[in-house]
Amino acid sequence: MTQLIDYILGGAGSGMIIALMALALVLTWRATRVVNFAQVGQAMFTTFIALSLQTLTGSWWVALLGALVAGAVVGVVVQYLVLRPVKRMDTSGAIIATFGVLIALQAAAGMIWGGDSQAYPQPFNNTALTVFGREWPISAYDLVVIGFGVALVIGLTLLFTRTNLGLAMRATAFNPEVARLSGVRVSRTLTIGWALAGIVGALAGVLVAPVSGISPNSFDILLVFAFTAAVIGGLDSLIGAVSVGIGTGLILSVVSGYSDSSNAPVVALILLALNLALKPEGIFGHNSARSV
Amino acid sequence: MLKIDGMSVSYGPVQALRDVSLEVPRGEVTAVIGANGAGKSTLMRTLAGLVRPAAGSATLDGHSLTGRKPEDVVRMGVSLVPEGRSTVPELTVDENLRLGGMWRSKAERASTHAEVYDMFPVLGDRRSMRADTLSGGERQQLAIGRALMSAPECLLLDEPSLGLAPLIVTQILELVKRLAEESNLAVLLVEQNAVTALRVAHSAVVLNLGQVVMSGSAADIASHEELRHAYLGY
Amino acid sequence: MQNLLRLPGARLVTHAVLVLAIWRVAMLVTDAVDPLTDYYIALVAMYATAMFGMVILVGLSGQVSLGNGALMAIGGYVFAVTTLNWQTVPFTSFPMNGTWAIVFAAIGGVVAGLLIGILGARLRGPYLAGLTLGIAVGIPAIANRFPDLLGGETGLELTVPYPDGGYAPVDDTGTTDEPVDVLPTAQAGASGDATPAPGDELTLDTFPTEQAALPTGQPPLASSGTGTGDELTLDTFPTAQPSGGTGDELTLDTFPTATPEPVASPDLSSAPIDGGTDALAGVDVGFVLERWQAGLAVAVACIVGFVALNLVRGRQGQVWRAVRDDPVAAAVSGISPSTSKVSAFVVSSLFAAVAGAVFAQILAYVGPGAFGLGLSLSLLVGIVLGGRGSLVGALLGAVLLVWLPEFVLQLAGDRGWPEQVTNNAPNLIYGLLVVLVVLVAPGGIVGGIQAGYARLRGRAGRSG
Repeated sequence: MTQLIDYILGGAGSGMIIALMALALVLTWRATRVVNFAQVGQAMFTTFIALSLQTLTGSWWVALLGALVAGAVVGVVVQYLVLRPVKRMDTSGAIIATFGVLIALQAAAGMIWGGDSQAYPQPFNNTALTVFGREWPISAYDLVVIGFGVALVIGLTLLFTRTNLGLAMRATAFNPEVARLSGVRVSRTLTIGWALAGIVGALAGVLVAPVSGISPNSFDILLVFAFTAAVIGGLDSLIGAVSVGIGTGLILSVVSGYSDSSNAPVVALILLALNLALKPEGIFGHNSARSV
Repeated sequence: MLKIDGMSVSYGPVQALRDVSLEVPRGEVTAVIGANGAGKSTLMRTLAGLVRPAAGSATLDGHSLTGRKPEDVVRMGVSLVPEGRSTVPELTVDENLRLGGMWRSKAERASTHAEVYDMFPVLGDRRSMRADTLSGGERQQLAIGRALMSAPECLLLDEPSLGLAPLIVTQILELVKRLAEESNLAVLLVEQNAVTALRVAHSAVVLNLGQVVMSGSAADIASHEELRHAYLGY
Repeated sequence: MQNLLRLPGARLVTHAVLVLAIWRVAMLVTDAVDPLTDYYIALVAMYATAMFGMVILVGLSGQVSLGNGALMAIGGYVFAVTTLNWQTVPFTSFPMNGTWAIVFAAIGGVVAGLLIGILGARLRGPYLAGLTLGIAVGIPAIANRFPDLLGGETGLELTVPYPDGGYAPVDDTGTTDEPVDVLPTAQAGASGDATPAPGDELTLDTFPTEQAALPTGQPPLASSGTGTGDELTLDTFPTAQPSGGTGDELTLDTFPTATPEPVASPDLSSAPIDGGTDALAGVDVGFVLERWQAGLAVAVACIVGFVALNLVRGRQGQVWRAVRDDPVAAAVSGISPSTSKVSAFVVSSLFAAVAGAVFAQILAYVGPGAFGLGLSLSLLVGIVLGGRGSLVGALLGAVLLVWLPEFVLQLAGDRGWPEQVTNNAPNLIYGLLVVLVVLVAPGGIVGGIQAGYARLRGRAGRSG
């Protein structure tokens, strides 16, 4: 029993990272009805930028800030150059285009920084915490990750419910025509949505890198986990993405604990398949996954 | 005054509007009537900037609207209530109203917001409910209220009666008429239901296959029997 | 004549003649060229086989799937497992051979395609793409679950062509000096000395296209996002046999009956691996493994291409297009959209599995790294560049997948580019080209040529 609790707690940090990446996917989906499969590629790229900044300045915080700025910029560039022109086309075109971006970003990162996995500095203590005379499977770094995640979710909730920009973004997501007729600058709002998603993805990248290392392909698996969480959460729902993301992390941690971490992708696939078969609109969503 | 001069619109090879000219004076309701497919909605969408005209121009008090984006047209004072009780169903009543006229100052918006609730008391009662829980008539009021939030000089109403009970239609159209007269708005009202439209309108134009076939005072058109038979089918 | 061609039977004959002609020409070419070119031809034919299925699934049926690499993995693994473990076809006394194994791979593909299709065919675009992405990553990972049967991360090595009389049963090998080395189940043990870095480097330089979609020299698949540092690198990727770098332990006396059928002259028979090595060195020893592989891959591609041609140009093709363009209208006119979409999945999955079985024989190996996400992505890249709805486009895309990395490698050699740039340049080009094609020429190369031709004709028509 204690072992189960340990396994569950051990998944909290990675769960938050999955939640953040799922959140990024949901933000672009809400903005433009595109699942940005290049999101992890963007996060990988900005994490490499952060690593370079880290080497240059020696400051983890400067590197983080750089990654967030770069995340916004890359998000805007991808949306502006690729998805905006493709908007009028079939959905297949948009999906394929995001994979094209993913392939190009990974290759570009390989060219610049090489293909080998590199270590990302660990800014906080990553050893198990001892509280009440017992070792817990959570480190100070896990708490930092969770803290960042919680702060971000609170910030986004305030943005969406309390500000005009947030209202404009929600209106644009649900009914772009009415938003335009109300005077919302829709294309600018969509671009801001992508920038926001880029920032959230970049944060997830920098937070996961000390644990996973960073290489051009090192976030691919995160894409699968995050997509699974986003879809089960309903793709439209910020709350859904976050809670299911964390839940996915906990489940995968338990699975890895009792068997082997290489089973995690298979388990994620089973979760995704079950969800799409039984409740395709997700737990928190209202838009339909099914076409026919 | 909204002035439309020689406007033509094409969708590929199909010409939806041909050389349409008309004037919508302030303080009056001008009705556009005609059968299905006559080009009424196209006219409205073109005025709002959602469709680009192939030729012609539209001006509001001398300022050109043609070629502008919808979000700029509404800033110039032309507000469209599109067909089908267009609101954002996932947002609350209050949020739908906040959405209109977001570029205006906070104080201005607050006063318009209060005015709209005065005008449509039912919206005030439902302010924190999601728009998709409202009845058809309430949603139409919300759609008009959202359009009014931008403090327009000219209001474009596309088929507000569609799918509503006759009593509610009458209420809404009476309100529109009062709005035009009291707030000195130029109102362009598109209706398939000619009888209802002509009852509130001051003047009217009849569209057929994208062309203006007749214009004049509402009373004249209502009494023009041939025209009724030919184009309005009653 | 026109009327005659409209008869269904006549169209079948036309297609058969066309495909036979292509096959004949391809055979003449494979006989004439050097083994390395044969190897490339084999890869092109193998990619084309899988991409014919993608044309039907993505192009005609409009379902963007990332899972076809995983379906190839299923085909490859079924091929490997059945050949390695079965002496005879189950429930019969037929001796097992490579053809049977391909049939089993095809059956595996159909079953998998049916399952994925039933699950996926009702999903809207992005959901389907995400689900199949999960399949592309998840299915190859299953190999780790069953290390004894599927070889785990290390994979399974195969003897190619399938040895006459089959693989030696485990007990019979006790007499030889180094029995474990040749047994696929013992690969984990053998890989210790089978993965010297220099040998691998050589292999990758000679045959970079084995991993066409993967930046060479990088982990084919990601390390885990949850912080388990397990990653699959090319160090554990066993060398493909054509280079013969590590195959020297496999000697003729282990497989005394290994007289490869196709082009071999019995007196000059040697073990396939040695044949490959020698052939690479330019010595003609009669049997050339690459030529055999090219023959196999081209034959399979022709058979699959014939089936695809008839489907695409027949009634079923119209049904797929109708459902893609307007599912509601199709349903109203009596076509079941979900049946149509599932059938596209089954067909494409069948093709993918067969291609996977061929791929296994080209690599003489199956393993999770060879069938990773990169393979799925490269299939998508191939059909998008070639032209989403066109079989000719798939063929052109396959050529591009194999040729571009070679071209870049040559260019890099001439210009002295650093390895890091060279390894990633093909993928950068692919990625940018995919985006460009989607934006400006959704029809890909074939669509572009057609549009250009139409414009040319239009201009000629106006001036004339």
